[in-house]
Amino acid sequence: MISSFEGTTASGFLLVLAIVAPFIGVLMSLALGGRAAERIALLLMPVGLGIALTIASGVWRSSAALLYVLGGWKPPLGVVLRADGLSAVMLVTTAILIGAAGLFARAEFQVPRGAPERRAPLMFWTLLLAVWGALNLVFLSSDLFNFYVALELLTFAAVPLVCLSGRAETLAAGLRYMLFALLGSVFYLLGVALLYGAYGVLDVGLLSSRIQPEPVVWVALSLMTAGLLAKTALFPLHLWLPPAHAGAPAAASAVLSALVVKGSFFLIVRLWFDVMPGRMPEAAAQLLGALGAAAILFGSVVALRQTRLKLLIAYSTVAQIGYLFFVFPLVIGSDVAHAWNGAAWTGGWMQLLSHAFAKAAMFLAAGLIAEAAGHDRTAELGGIGRALPISVIAFGLGGLSLMGVPPSGGFVAKWLLLTAAIEAGQWWWAIVMLAGGLLAGSYVFRVLGQLWRDVDEPLVLRTKVSPRREAIALALALCAVLLGFVSLEPAALLQIGRTHALEFVLR
Amino acid sequence: MMDSRVLLAATLLLPVLMLLACLFPQLRVRMPRLLALAPVPALAAALLAVGGPPLLLPAAMLRVTLSLDLPGAMLLGAAALLWTAAGAYAAVDLRGKPHAPRFAVWWLMTLTGNLGVFLAADLASFYLFYALVSLSAYGLVVHAGTPGARRAGAVYVALALLGEAALLLSFVLLAAGSEGDSVLIRDVVAALPTSPWRDATVALLIAGLGLKIGLVPMHVWMPLAYSAAPFAAAAVMSGAAVKAGVIGLIRFLPLDTPLPNAGGALAAIGLFGAFYGVAIGITQRNPKTVLAYSSVSQMGLLAAVFGMGMAAGDASTASAASFYAANHVLVKGGLFLALGVVAKTSARRAWPVLLPAAVLALSLGGLPFTGGALAKWAVKAPLGEGAVGMLATLSAVGSTMLMLHFLQTLVNTSSNEAGQGPPPAALSVPWLASAFAAVALPWALFLTVANGSLHEVLAPTSFWKASWPIALGTALALALRRFEHRLPRVPVGDWVVAAEHATHAFKGWGEAMERADGRLRQWSVAGVSFLTVALILGALMLVSS
Repeated sequence: MISSFEGTTASGFLLVLAIVAPFIGVLMSLALGGRAAERIALLLMPVGLGIALTIASGVWRSSAALLYVLGGWKPPLGVVLRADGLSAVMLVTTAILIGAAGLFARAEFQVPRGAPERRAPLMFWTLLLAVWGALNLVFLSSDLFNFYVALELLTFAAVPLVCLSGRAETLAAGLRYMLFALLGSVFYLLGVALLYGAYGVLDVGLLSSRIQPEPVVWVALSLMTAGLLAKTALFPLHLWLPPAHAGAPAAASAVLSALVVKGSFFLIVRLWFDVMPGRMPEAAAQLLGALGAAAILFGSVVALRQTRLKLLIAYSTVAQIGYLFFVFPLVIGSDVAHAWNGAAWTGGWMQLLSHAFAKAAMFLAAGLIAEAAGHDRTAELGGIGRALPISVIAFGLGGLSLMGVPPSGGFVAKWLLLTAAIEAGQWWWAIVMLAGGLLAGSYVFRVLGQLWRDVDEPLVLRTKVSPRREAIALALALCAVLLGFVSLEPAALLQIGRTHALEFVLR
Repeated sequence: MMDSRVLLAATLLLPVLMLLACLFPQLRVRMPRLLALAPVPALAAALLAVGGPPLLLPAAMLRVTLSLDLPGAMLLGAAALLWTAAGAYAAVDLRGKPHAPRFAVWWLMTLTGNLGVFLAADLASFYLFYALVSLSAYGLVVHAGTPGARRAGAVYVALALLGEAALLLSFVLLAAGSEGDSVLIRDVVAALPTSPWRDATVALLIAGLGLKIGLVPMHVWMPLAYSAAPFAAAAVMSGAAVKAGVIGLIRFLPLDTPLPNAGGALAAIGLFGAFYGVAIGITQRNPKTVLAYSSVSQMGLLAAVFGMGMAAGDASTASAASFYAANHVLVKGGLFLALGVVAKTSARRAWPVLLPAAVLALSLGGLPFTGGALAKWAVKAPLGEGAVGMLATLSAVGSTMLMLHFLQTLVNTSSNEAGQGPPPAALSVPWLASAFAAVALPWALFLTVANGSLHEVLAPTSFWKASWPIALGTALALALRRFEHRLPRVPVGDWVVAAEHATHAFKGWGEAMERADGRLRQWSVAGVSFLTVALILGALMLVSS
């Protein structure tokens, strides 16, 4: 890692562009007003996707991380942006999902010609861009304080998205979200301060070469990890997630569930596998796995009991986040030489990606169903399957990925994680994963049964749903289902830039 | 000659294309009429593509490999015949019904999975097709939309998911237990006998696949689902879809290595099921339910065949079992179609249906010169001459009794209403075709691929051996009629009724968890949990370093 501080790599400026472009959009929208905001956002989406794809192909072709040294000042004085394989994958996924959410939201947040401007559209488009920029900053930063800035930006962009409708309950949900997220930030910042006090550097690369297993480090890391867990809504710290994700507008819920919670998870991974590679104590890894297991079982059972569609999907997110945390015990427990190309690492990221697509599709589909029916009480939605077949199919396909039915990405993820659990001799995680799949199957089939049920009098739809928006939900669901057919090459992408191989550290 | 790989591809491609066509409403409404065409390429493949080179789809995380061996071809061919006949039946039955297109979609999905499972040569695609046939059949079970159908669907899907979970874990163990990177079923099963998780893998395989074939005590979904599904759907589910489990056992059990303990256990469970199905079946009044319990009994016997084959390490069990299963495909499917025809026929004019139905029914008891007798002959070797062989013969007595009871209920089903006439011709054609196939196919297979000797099966001793169970069964069935009113009324799905009461306890758990969630999401509690997580994490790290 040290040797890679030679300086900015060839296309390193793209990293700056990936972060700056959305924020320029935010500033322009605020300056030009609501009517322009939508156009600016929609214009930036293909541009951002192009940047993300270029970065990904750059990482792929050079088989090394891309670097950009800000202002030419090298760490510890300056700040470095770094795109490894993980960043590249996350950048592309984020650009696709933000684009889909934006296209989907046009119908809801459009300011018609001649109509007076409203506050909600301006807020939505600027916040969506801000979330995007903040996420890109999370994925490209390589410095503990930069991470903090990115996290704060993410929180402050995500919270207002929750309470966009202005209804009392969404305001309460947003407040809850913000307070708990701030609590998490405080813990994280405390940990950063402790580490800076001990080692005098914040850069991930420099820190990882200086850091020693000593009490101050453990205190700092436990504070930072706990803070990030609160923002990721890992059980039992999920108090804010269900009302926030269920109350937001559909496009926002999709982004929040698919991407925003993954942002803080991404940082936990950076912390344990980049700052402290290979030195996570076994017991701590098992604790994270145990919380993940509890999240899966608990979240799924509570999801099974929900009577509202969006709340059910939100609780399903609580459960699905749990699978991500199996990465820690399984990577730590796996064969050292195969940590980065092993089943645990690839499976964890596959779970993250497939859940992102599946959950975004489900939230969008649920949004359309709720819009058409005027409510989302599942017991009263009989017949909606005939009225909106495409939306219900999108919901069902997303559900299949959550259940882990092949060829979905969820299946590949579960297959890899199960393999890792068996090979590491940690069969208890395998049992939880299978139980989670069963419970997911139960809640998906229960809802599908309710949506497809015949009713004597046909459902009266409040509004007509545009087929184009249904197609967006379906396309995302198909992405989740077909992720299993993606060739193994992206899995190799996930390993690029993992310069500190575990064996190097453990030697 | 056409490359056999084209046929393998076409087997799956045609139903998939038909499914895609269903995305367009104008084509969707026409689809029910075309259902009989979907399995035609499969039929061609079963005849022409046996033993050809495998079809490889491009390298991906899921590397799909399709190939067709002899056991697979026997089951594929029989299943394709049944799907054709039942498809023609369904086309007539669905005419003018409002939900016909929806039924066609579920039908085609189940069919795709069912045909694919016979071709899959690697773990992932087997799992894909297996899940497809299992989970799509849910739509066929609940099609009627009645509360009873919904209940059957719920039980069915819950158990199907349980089976999927067991199977998934067993596949992961299979892949992890083999040295190389190959995920071909052949390679991972070859490594199974030396796998460190051999016993667990075999147990999970039997649990997952046994659920599909209705191995007692995991059979409860069968009577519920077959009783709820429309006739055509019950025919393909009982005849063809169940064989997904059979081909799974053929493909995955390490039949060429003797495993006496696991094999013995499977044989015992199977034989128990063979008698249990008869015992519960004779207490049932609904002919669909009786047929379902007969399937429990028949598949129990087949499980015993697998068990004995596994115990002895006899690789020839695979072809014997697939012959037995291929016969069952058409017989059981045909009987369900007969049931559908009789229900629309006046009682006095039903005999043209009842007569061939009686032949098929008694074929399950091993009536001489029927496919059933040939099937019994085929599994004679794996079952052996000892106690197991004797019990298997006695189960044929039971089957005879059960099938005579079925014929009784079938007669009762025929309509006594005025206005019903002779059997409707449009429905009779598919039924008679399947009945003819049920008689002809076993003979054709027997003479071509099963290396059977006509001399042996036509010998007087064979005739006697096949006849006395039928005679004894008939006598017992006559005796039973006198005591019929004293038989206990066992609810459909026997123990599942008790289990459904037990789920109320789970409901209590669910409520408790929801309450706990409410408490955990209070500010004070969440704050404490937050601090606790941080403290425990820190403590664990400090202690362990």
